[in-house]
Amino acid sequence: MTAETIIQSLASGLLMGLLYGLIAVGLALIFGLMDVVNFAHGEFLMIAMYATFFLFAFFAIDPLLSAPLVAAALFVFGAVVYLLIVRFAVRAKANAGMVQIFSTFGLAIVMRGLAQYFFTPDYRSVTHSWLGGKTVSIAGIYLPVPQLVGALVAIAAFGALYLFINRTDFGRALEATREDAGAVALVGIDKNKVFALGWGLGAALVGLAGAVMAIFFYIYPDVGASFALIAYVTVALGGFGSVFGAFAGGIIVGLVEATTAMLLPPSLKAVGIYAVYLLVVFVRPRGLFGSM
Amino acid sequence: MNITRRNVLLGATAAAALGPVAARAQTSEVVIGVIYPFSGASAQMGVDAQKSFETALDIINKDHDFDLPLAKGEGLPGLGGAKVRLVFADHQADPQKGRAETERLITQEKVCAVVGTYQSAVAVTVSQICERYQIPFISADNSSPSLHRRGLKFYFRAAPHDEMFSAAMFNFFDAMKKKGVKIDTLALFHEDTIFGTDSANTQLKLAADRGYKVVSDIKYRSNSPSLSAEVQQLKTANADVLMPSSYTTDGILLVKTMAELGYKPNAIVAQDAGFSEKALYDAVGDKLEGVISRGSFSLDLAAKRPMVGKINAMFKEKSGKDFNDLTSRQFMGLLVMADAINRAKSTDGEKIREALVATDIPGEQTIMPWKRVKFDEMGQNNDADPVLLQYIGGKFVTIFPPQAAIAEAVWPMK
Repeated sequence: MTAETIIQSLASGLLMGLLYGLIAVGLALIFGLMDVVNFAHGEFLMIAMYATFFLFAFFAIDPLLSAPLVAAALFVFGAVVYLLIVRFAVRAKANAGMVQIFSTFGLAIVMRGLAQYFFTPDYRSVTHSWLGGKTVSIAGIYLPVPQLVGALVAIAAFGALYLFINRTDFGRALEATREDAGAVALVGIDKNKVFALGWGLGAALVGLAGAVMAIFFYIYPDVGASFALIAYVTVALGGFGSVFGAFAGGIIVGLVEATTAMLLPPSLKAVGIYAVYLLVVFVRPRGLFGSM
Repeated sequence: MNITRRNVLLGATAAAALGPVAARAQTSEVVIGVIYPFSGASAQMGVDAQKSFETALDIINKDHDFDLPLAKGEGLPGLGGAKVRLVFADHQADPQKGRAETERLITQEKVCAVVGTYQSAVAVTVSQICERYQIPFISADNSSPSLHRRGLKFYFRAAPHDEMFSAAMFNFFDAMKKKGVKIDTLALFHEDTIFGTDSANTQLKLAADRGYKVVSDIKYRSNSPSLSAEVQQLKTANADVLMPSSYTTDGILLVKTMAELGYKPNAIVAQDAGFSEKALYDAVGDKLEGVISRGSFSLDLAAKRPMVGKINAMFKEKSGKDFNDLTSRQFMGLLVMADAINRAKSTDGEKIREALVATDIPGEQTIMPWKRVKFDEMGQNNDADPVLLQYIGGKFVTIFPPQAAIAEAVWPMK
């Protein structure tokens, strides 16, 4: 194994890891806000990719331009999902956890089924875009432009999210609601409004990820499944509810995946990710950056 | 119990009254189960397969002037013109669901034969259930060689398996070497279920037998979010020929990742699957000029056998696509099964099995480049000659074997 191979693998792993982080952060945000795991997270990603594809196919809008539109659409979608489904699921008096799991799980199955019915199960691709297929090569190391831009988008999104949560009134309201939803009602913050906006924001972030991924990944109704699993382990590894944890978790998952693929047969590369996760559970069950 | 004359008389009357009804019920309709993935990651395969089976059904049930079994006249003449009805079941690419659905087809839907399944891993369980209920099963499009070697009596495959396909690839390499092309090293890239594993094992064995060096043998997890690490290893190995055994999703990602990491092999010779799918060429066809895939079907045949073009047109009207390697085999699978049921003159499993064993359809009466359809004692048709096709200018042309070829191979690929 040459140094070049190692650097190339780690570079690819890092770029992919930043995207994993961007996909996972919406999940972490929603969980942190109200302790609900969105099992339809992969399907949110799927419809974001389809939205990007259709904007490209019908209106010839490049994924880079449609990314904000898709994020905005997903924002509305996320808020609606909260208002129509999750709001009622969290009211359950008995077996609240189960009701939440099955309501979002059911949503995932329905979304996948509707996608298959309306979009057909055929594999779609954004066949040409400004970035698609472009690659920069530095000293023999190849960095695909779509993933490079995706990584930059991820870093920017994390930066913006950090400022948003720490420097704005709404961010503070989000943080306060997460600390004590009962108390914020006393000071006049509408809990439902905050939760709906939180869901919207979480969905918008995965929408952004979907738009970027549509440039280089194939699109079909089940595409969310393989990414959702990685998003869950990313969030668990980084720490449930921690936005920064999702960022760090994504990078770790990407790098561990790349390293495992170098050392073991590539078909076992997921093993490395979960082995590291089990190790984290052993020494720090709440995740690397989880607060409790 | 005492049997009196009255009992006998009663019984006889009842039998006489029921007899014709039973006979009519048996012959008015022949029900065949078709089991495919209609949801999940490979649902599109099921959707396309359904169109192909419906095309075959049209040819069986209606009067057509083609030189194919059962084309002329309506229904199955051996069963008094009975019509064939298909019951579609969804196995979701899951062997356990395949098992349950096959059981349902046999016990609830009362099918007399089963055709399937796209994924070889599912064919394993489906054929086991069929064997238990003594219902004949035809692997229309499964290509894993281990399938027919399990000693099953009710398993049949009219199409070639991966060893025959891979042997054709190595025959082709040998022929190219004779012409002075340098082919010494190979890289295998295969997914981790029975299809990819069987395919790679066969290729490893053939490579060893014929003196080719396998410099990289990469097994990857199907539907991986990323294949960068895998492609990096292929690039480092830089073999003369890259031989992928991949389904559509991974095939698309493989080609995209290769382009991103600046890896351009001299030649790609693919084990079909994803590399015969329109979706893959729609997505990355511009990067695949000159890719070679094995196949059991070629539209070039329409020049010699005009009915191939006409039947393709019937299929295209339903599906919007040309016949490909998979849909053509599915079409033949149902036709071969219906032909056996017709000759069995019965919907009894054992009688259909005997008729399948006796099958001998000349190649000209198929839509394939095969010599004929005749099963060996394991249920495999060894006369199903595969072809190699090269993707040139947006379509596939037959380049091997010489008797079927209409063009010389372009080597290296662009």
